[in-house]
Order: sequence, then C-alpha cells, then structure tokens
Amino acid sequence: MTLRPSPLADTAPPHIRIDRLTFDYGGARPAVDALSFDIAKGEFIGLLGPSGCGKSTTLRMFAGLLAPTSGQIMIGGQDIVSRPPWERNLGLVFQSYALFPHMTVEQNVAFGLRLRKVSKEDQRARVAEALRAVRLESYGSRWPSELSGGQQQRVAIARAIVIEPEILLLDEPLSNLDARLRDEMRFEIRDIQTRTGITTLFVTHDQQEALTMCDRIAVMNAGRLEQIGTPTDVYDRAATPFVANFIGRANNLASRLSLVDGQPVLTCDGQTLPQPLPADVPENSATGNSVAAMVRPHAIRLRPPAPDQISGTVIRRVFVGSMIEIEIRLDGGQTLIAELRPNSPDAALAHLDARVTVDWLPSDMRLFAS
Amino acid sequence: MTRLLSILGRAYVIAIFGFIFLPMLIILVISFSADSYLSFPPSGWSLKWYSTVLGNATFMAGLKNSAIIALIVAVLSLLLGLPAAYALVRMEFPGRTLIRNLILAPLVLPAMMLGLGLLMVFTPAGLVATYPGLVLAHLVMTLPFSVRILQTTLSNLGTDLEEAAMTLGARPLQTFMQITLPRLMPGVIASSSIAAILSFDEIVLSLFIVGPRLQTLPVAIYRYVDERTDPMVAVLAVLLIAISLAIVLVVERSVGFAKAFGR
Ligand SMILES: Nc1ncnc2c1ncn2[C@@H]1O[C@H](COP(=O)(O)OP(=O)(O)OP(=O)(O)O)[C@@H](O)[C@H]1O
Ligand SMILES: [Mg+2]
Repeated sequence: MTLRPSPLADTAPPHIRIDRLTFDYGGARPAVDALSFDIAKGEFIGLLGPSGCGKSTTLRMFAGLLAPTSGQIMIGGQDIVSRPPWERNLGLVFQSYALFPHMTVEQNVAFGLRLRKVSKEDQRARVAEALRAVRLESYGSRWPSELSGGQQQRVAIARAIVIEPEILLLDEPLSNLDARLRDEMRFEIRDIQTRTGITTLFVTHDQQEALTMCDRIAVMNAGRLEQIGTPTDVYDRAATPFVANFIGRANNLASRLSLVDGQPVLTCDGQTLPQPLPADVPENSATGNSVAAMVRPHAIRLRPPAPDQISGTVIRRVFVGSMIEIEIRLDGGQTLIAELRPNSPDAALAHLDARVTVDWLPSDMRLFAS
Repeated sequence: MTRLLSILGRAYVIAIFGFIFLPMLIILVISFSADSYLSFPPSGWSLKWYSTVLGNATFMAGLKNSAIIALIVAVLSLLLGLPAAYALVRMEFPGRTLIRNLILAPLVLPAMMLGLGLLMVFTPAGLVATYPGLVLAHLVMTLPFSVRILQTTLSNLGTDLEEAAMTLGARPLQTFMQITLPRLMPGVIASSSIAAILSFDEIVLSLFIVGPRLQTLPVAIYRYVDERTDPMVAVLAVLLIAISLAIVLVVERSVGFAKAFGR
C-alpha cells in the first residue's frame, strides 16, 4: 500500500487529529479508508454517512475496541492507537446503551469512578452531579430494566460523562427512540454537551440530526471522508455530488459547458441554464465537457415561458401542507422537483400541464465535473 | 369438528404424560408398602423400607460416594467448561467452527464403548475404583453439556457490556469478574446442576470404573436389583428421582431449561 501524503495542515497540533486512519476487515475495500480530520477542543462533530460507510468502525478505533490497520489517532499530540481501551479515558455510548443490568443506575454511573479509585464521597457527589446533568437525579436506585428507552440512554450518557472523558463517542444514540423522544433527546444531548464542554463525536446516518446538532459534520461514504464542514457548508457548498445528494434533496441536471463570446455557458439538452455561472466552475471542465448542475428544490423559481431559457411542463403538483411540490419535465426529457410556497406567484404559474421557464440564483447552483 | 380435535388432542397429551409418569406413580406407591415383595397394590402400608434403606451400609456408602463425585464433577465441569466456552465464543482460531459443531459428538458414542476405552486407559494408570477415576469418567459425559450451555449463555450475552466496561476503565480480568461472570450466572447454575444430575445418575460408565472398595449409588442399586426385588428398590428409585428433581427445580427456578440449552 502506498502511503498518501497527509492532507492535514502542518501547524500546531489540534486537540484531536486523526491521520489517514484505515481499517480493513479483509473485504473488497477497507471499511475505513485513509480518514483524516482535526477536531478542536469542545467541538461537537457529527460523523454522517449511509449505512455501512464505516462510522461505527471509526468510533470503535477511537475507543480502542479495534486496532487500526494503519494511521494515527492523536489526542493532545500523542498517538493513542497502541493504548488499550481501559487506558484511553474515552466515553462511549452504544446504540444499545449497554447498561449493566445487574447494577442500579447509581452503580452503573459510578462504575468508571470506582475503577479510578475515586473516594466513596467524591463518587457520590460526582454521580449525583452527572445524574442531575441528564435530569435523572431521583432515579439513582432504580434498575435499568425499570427505565424507559430515553431514560436508559441518559443513564448511558451520564455513565460516560462522569469520568470526564477526553472525548465523548456516541454511536447512533437516538436510533432506538420514537420520533418525539428523538427530537427531545437531540436537544438534551446538545445541551449537556454545551454545559460540560466535552469534545464529542456523534455518529448518525440521519442528515436532519447532523444538521441540527453539530458544530461541524464529517460526511463519509464507502469508508472515505467526502467533506467536513459546518452544517451550512455541507448543505450550501457541497464539495462532492455525493454530499449534495446525501444531505437534503437535490436536482441533478446533466449539462454541457461551452464558451459563448469567451464566457462559459451551461446548456442542458440545448437549453441555457440561468446565467451567470457560479465562480467555481470545476477547473478540469474544459469546453464541451459534461457537468452535473445541482439545484435544491426550494431554490427553484418559475417564470412565464421564455425562448432558449431552460423550460418544461408541469407534470405533477402535490400540496404537502407547508409547500407545494411540483415536478417539471424539461423539454430535453430530464425532470426537476421544485418546492414552492403556497399562494406565491410561482405557485400560481404551476398548474398542471402549464409550460414554465425555471430559474434560480447562481449562488444556489453547484457544479460538479462528471 | 374443531371441538372433537381439541378433545382428542387433550386426551393424547394426557395419555403421553400417563405413559411417562404412571410408572413413577406406581413406584412411589410401592415404596410405602408393608409387603416383603413387589406387589401392586400393596396389601399394607409402612415406612419400613425407607428405614431399611437408610440403615443399609452399602447404599449409604454409595449415596455418599455419588454425592461427593457429583459435587466435584459439577465444580470441575464449570471450571473446565467456562474457559472452553469462552474461547469458542469469543476467540478466533482455526477449527473453531468444527469444534463448536462437534462439541456434543462424544455423547453420540455408545456409553459402553466409552466405558471400555476408559477402562483400558484407567487400569494401567491405577485410576480404577478411585474418586479421580470416576470423576474423570463422568466429566467425559458432562463437559460437552456444560460447554454447550455456557456457550449459549455467552453468545446471548453479546460483547456490548464488556466493551462498555473496558472503555470505562476496566481491565480484562476486572471486566470478566464484574460484568461477564455476574451475567453468566444463569448458565453457571444450569451447567453445574446438569453436570451434577448427569453424574449422580450415571451408571454405564461407572460400571466399568467402580470396584468393591468404591461404588456409586446407581451401581449399588443395579447390583441389588440383579439379585433381589423388594420394595427397597422402589424406595431407592424414589430417592434418586427426588434428588434429580430437586436439582431440576433449582435450574428451572433460576433460568428455565429451554433457555439454558438454547434453541
Ligand atoms: N466484523 C466485521 N467483519 C467484516 N466486515 C465488517 C464487520 N463489521 C463491519 N463490517 C463491514 O465494514 C463496513 C463498515 O461497517 P460499519 O459498521 O462501520 O458501518 P456503519 O457506518 O456504522 O453502518 P451503520 O450505519 O449501518 O451502523 C460495512 O461494509 C460492513 O459490512
Ligand atoms: Mg454503525
């Protein structure tokens, strides 16, 4: 295996740095493939990607439950890869919560403190504080089996944060909860994290969860990092077609790049896309190359039909409460989904079988070489 | 029609149970007989055969031997079976799947053949008619069961709890003692109890290994029945059943048999 150069900046070491982290179960390709990114102290990072993209594998390497095939995990400038799990001081919250069923809530939370030989008095105080942080102060003497799913999960979080871990690792902690509890817990987890200031790595395959909770999101696909950035970054400035389509809904138009009077112009099946093009036309897309143009459904505006501009026919119109969703078949045959506000002028144009021209702001379009 | 079927079904189940339990019931009745020969129904009632058994030195020595051996076998079956089960469930090594699938295979062999084999090995080793010899012979029978039961408990347990403990700072031994072992208790109780029952009731293997100086209760009963039949036999049978039943109840109470064996 050739060692790729590290894509990370060579400045002062950040709080946590993972550098070309790789894990190979022996399948067709590594489950985690040269993953690199930095995490600042106190940051809440989301690890987002479809099922099987290597999120849990990454988390297990952090926790020391899997030894990386290659690569480093640096905390405070020190590589922790060779340390066994019990010497890492990391808090891991499993999807299954993994509470010890033969211990009360209090004993569960005190487990890590007891192993650290914290005095009985301090144990009591810190357990009480952790239970207060997750709003379960009066549940200390219950057994895990006497708690609801959401409460069990909060105990698992209390047990992980009470040891004041270097980093809190959460593996899809909300996926076993019903929709309402999930919304509440999103809030609570983020709130607990803000109050304690513990650096957190939050694994999820739910883009909504990642967008609403995280300081930054690392989007993974097939073991590789596609993009890491703030929720706005990954949503509005997707770095790859995968990110654009995984996060939020997206229309992808197969288009062709050409030069008209020295200016780059995009056409889709002979019709011109809204001008001017965004500044970051893919570098390698020479004239005549095909380009994928990505536009979010909510960014699309409708105009009365205009010649040469990209136009089509409304073939479906569905009222979904807060908006009207329409599907447009472009004259070239490709289709577009648009979300319009009810009672807007755009919505008035969009009756079934109407001919319309579509438009959007240049800043709402992302171009990818294809 | 459905009614008829349901009545027939119930009758069938009752018949099966009768077939299994009627002989036991008859034995129980005969054990309280005042007659000096086996007859049903007895012509009078007494506890004299119970006191005869309790006063019989051969049977009491056999009972003591069987109890001691069953206890040792139960403990050793656990101590030897647990690491084996742990390795089979948690560790990767060549041949693992093969061993897992063949773990119950020794039980398919005719006990007669096993006994003969053991005798041929034990005679030169001086193990015949000794506690260690009988314990070893019984372990051949009980270990596959113990390993199988503990294996089932361990794989049902999963690794999440242990991994959680380790990330919280528990070393492997601490993890095993504080997390794995307490969670394994149902399997531990089940496997030890079943090992004890199997050992206590074992006769074929024991027949090869016992001698005049050391014999087990089932062997003593077998020898006695060979010569004579009187209500004392019924009393002995009742005692054997009662002891096994007591152990079964312990298991059923703590885990349930189906759960202990898995599948
Ligand atoms: N024990 C294993 N042996 C072999 N392959 C494995 C093993 N565990 C996971 N994999 C493979 O590695 C890849 C990454 O798995 P991982 O569990 O990290 O995915 P994930 O992103 O956590 O998915 P999910 O969202 O479904 O939990 C998957 O393709 C999976 O099939
Ligand atoms: Mg996973």
